[in-house]
Amino acid sequence: MRFDFVEPLVFAVLSLGVIAAGAAVVLINRITAAALLMAFTFLCMAGMFVLLGAETIAAFQVLIYVGAITVLILYGVMFTKYGDRPYALFFQRQTPLAVVFVASVGIPVALFSFTFTSGTPSPGGGDLPQLATSVFTDFAFPFEVASVLLLAAMVGAIVLTKREGREETPR
Amino acid sequence: MIALVWLVPAFPLAAFLVCGLFGRRWLRQATGWIASAAVGASAVVALGVLAEVMGGAERTVVPLYRWIAVGDFSVDVAALVDPLSAVMLVVVTVVSFLIFVYSNGYMAHDHGIHRFFAWLSLFVFAMLILVMADNYLLMFVGWEGVGLCSYLLIGFWFERPEPYYAAKKAFVMNRIGDWGYTIGIITVFLVFGSMNFLDVFRRLEESAPAQGALTLICLALFFGATGKSAQLPLYSWLPDAMEGPTPVSALIHAATMVTSGVYLVARSMPLFAAAGSALAVVALVGTITAIFAATIALVQFDIKRVMAYSTVSQLGYMFLALGVGAPAAAIFHLVTHAFFKALLFLGSGSVIHAMNNEQDMRRMGGLRAKLPVTYWTMVIAGGALAALPPLAGFWSKDEIVGAALTNGYPLLGAVGLLTGGLTAFYITRALWLVFHGQPREPHLYEHAHESRRVMTIPLLALAAGAVLAGAIGIPPDQGFIHSFLAPSVETGATEQAPPLATILTIALGSVVVSVLGIVVSLSMYARGRPDPAAVARAAEGYYRVLVNKYYVDELYDHRFVDAARAFAGAAWAFDIHVIDGLANRFGWALVMGGTVLRRVQTGIVGNYALTIVAGLLFVLFAYGGYAAGVFGR
Amino acid sequence: MIVPLGAYIAVSAALFFIGCAGVLVRRNAVVILMCVELMLNAANLALVAFSRKYGAVDERGSVFVVFVFVIAAAEVAVGLAIVLSAYRNRAVIDVDEIHQMSG
Repeated sequence: MRFDFVEPLVFAVLSLGVIAAGAAVVLINRITAAALLMAFTFLCMAGMFVLLGAETIAAFQVLIYVGAITVLILYGVMFTKYGDRPYALFFQRQTPLAVVFVASVGIPVALFSFTFTSGTPSPGGGDLPQLATSVFTDFAFPFEVASVLLLAAMVGAIVLTKREGREETPR
Repeated sequence: MIALVWLVPAFPLAAFLVCGLFGRRWLRQATGWIASAAVGASAVVALGVLAEVMGGAERTVVPLYRWIAVGDFSVDVAALVDPLSAVMLVVVTVVSFLIFVYSNGYMAHDHGIHRFFAWLSLFVFAMLILVMADNYLLMFVGWEGVGLCSYLLIGFWFERPEPYYAAKKAFVMNRIGDWGYTIGIITVFLVFGSMNFLDVFRRLEESAPAQGALTLICLALFFGATGKSAQLPLYSWLPDAMEGPTPVSALIHAATMVTSGVYLVARSMPLFAAAGSALAVVALVGTITAIFAATIALVQFDIKRVMAYSTVSQLGYMFLALGVGAPAAAIFHLVTHAFFKALLFLGSGSVIHAMNNEQDMRRMGGLRAKLPVTYWTMVIAGGALAALPPLAGFWSKDEIVGAALTNGYPLLGAVGLLTGGLTAFYITRALWLVFHGQPREPHLYEHAHESRRVMTIPLLALAAGAVLAGAIGIPPDQGFIHSFLAPSVETGATEQAPPLATILTIALGSVVVSVLGIVVSLSMYARGRPDPAAVARAAEGYYRVLVNKYYVDELYDHRFVDAARAFAGAAWAFDIHVIDGLANRFGWALVMGGTVLRRVQTGIVGNYALTIVAGLLFVLFAYGGYAAGVFGR
Repeated sequence: MIVPLGAYIAVSAALFFIGCAGVLVRRNAVVILMCVELMLNAANLALVAFSRKYGAVDERGSVFVVFVFVIAAAEVAVGLAIVLSAYRNRAVIDVDEIHQMSG
């Protein structure tokens, strides 16, 4: 039995998930639902990484995006209250224009992308050894800079949200 | 001494700097003595120069430094020392010295005394530069300088409006004349390639240029001279200039600045002689001005204005002399006139000082008893003006009239004779109204007193000059001054001395006319036969015209000043509406553009993001089009 | 049958432009941040796809993806900090309401 139909099938399912969930994030009004659907998009994306043979990247995707970023977004949703508004989409002033622009760029690009026809199969084995070697030798400096960047972002986020004028604790 | 000739203007310049810089705070009254000493020193050097020139020194050029050297055009700051300039130097410095001494008394109570002496010294400096220059351009520096100082000094008491207007009028009219002078010297350079007197005269002899060009030069220079020397049509500033202090009137508007026009024509005699018709114009203008001004002087009541019109008239005589080919006579009259006219002005100043600054003769009278020195010196000066022998004025004026009659200008000569009679009439009238008869304002008369010695001594010195200065011109046409000046003002035309009988006849005639004028005047004012008021009523039309000075000021005001004002108004309107309008509209356009463009900045981030996407769209399509060959490779 | 490279790229493109439309259209600031994350993900997918599908594995694409992760994390943290402090000031989360910097 030939099982070479599996990969395209899995690809089709995953891509459907990605695109559908992505569209839902944009279209759905309820924020919490949108946030969770975003997490689902990330999961499907991780699956596609696996399909491409980049397991490490997939692991990172799950850890960082599904794990940390989704939580951050949920925190954001939790701390802000979005008043009851009419359905946002149709009352946005620039909706028609935006749709026109995006569609006129996006559709040709998507169609153009089908010209990439080489379909090299994913090599077996993981990508971890090469990735690790590259990151820690060839790209060691950017790696360090990235860590500093993370530190700066963390400090910056704290500074931005620090409350001024701490109340005196009663003695 | 000739080599030291540059000391002559240096002393007054130093006095100007000292009085100007240190006068207000520290020197105050002392400025007068410093300035007088400086001019006195100049006078000594000038006399030395004259002595050396009289002793037979050649015409010398004493250079100071090279001023301009551009291509073919070069002008030096250099002095030309020859008989003509030596005479002028002496006249300017000696008369200035006496007037400076006098001013120490006259201006003693004025709070601006340091300013007065600073500017007066600057004036003397400029006048000396004018007289000493060896080229037209340096002379122009002096020319402008005296005009400037005239403006400053006429408007000396600028707290009142009249002096300010008079100063402005004088300066503007001078400027109009200067336009003529400038055209003249530019044409001189174009025709002769140089502005240096000696160069020009040499080239004139070598290659006779076109008559038309020469006539243009001469008429342009003469137009400048009319501005400076107050001839028609640019004379009306001089009577108004009497708003300045009396010493200023004496120095600038009698003895020195107004004679610079005469000096200019005398210096340029070779040019004028070569352009025949120009001299005729000079003579004509001079004569007409002489009689014109004399008629106005007949009816004026301000003592200084009588003297002012008299100056205009006498300057007319000098130009008449120049025009009929007797330049030595013109310079002779310039010298004698400097003495007696300065004396008349200073004497008037003495009277005004005594009468507590009253200048209207109708309020004077009987001052003979109160101001004896002033009276006698003014009588001498008046006699000189009226050309009574043996006073100086007789010799010089008689020579002018004689030259006119014998050189083929009978009509001008006759007019000159008649004007002599008018001159005698008005000066007698003025002296009588001031010094004789009953005092018309008793309380002013009470306080009148003779001036201090510092003021009367210069009067006496000038009187001596008025008496003795004639000696340099005796006998007519063959006197000392004629032979002395001959090399400077030669016209190239040899003159024969007229026969003695002619000379005597003319002299007798002019004396008779003068005496007639005096007699008629005394008869009218001393005896009242005929009564002056009755005469005025009988010839009311003529009288009113004369009192209003032929309405010349009104005419000028209407024709020229109003036209200039209209033009200025039009220019102002153009500036406000067109030029400013353009600038304002431009600014408004920019503001409008900004207001419109500002609407792009909505502050809404989504709009900005949309703009980014739109830009991306544009770039992609552009690239795609380029790649597909739509825009051509 | 092998999934062609172009398919992956097409998915990436579609997700990218969906996210782009979301950024332009939605008014809630947090949702905008979510859509930005979508766009970043699409970019990651394209990078990984290209690195694995041209013959030998070119690990530089994957390295780049690692750095994109870092950047995305930092960006969402700071972005949320900004949104929260803006919310604290004015209690609005609608980006259309925040337009004080208009010209």
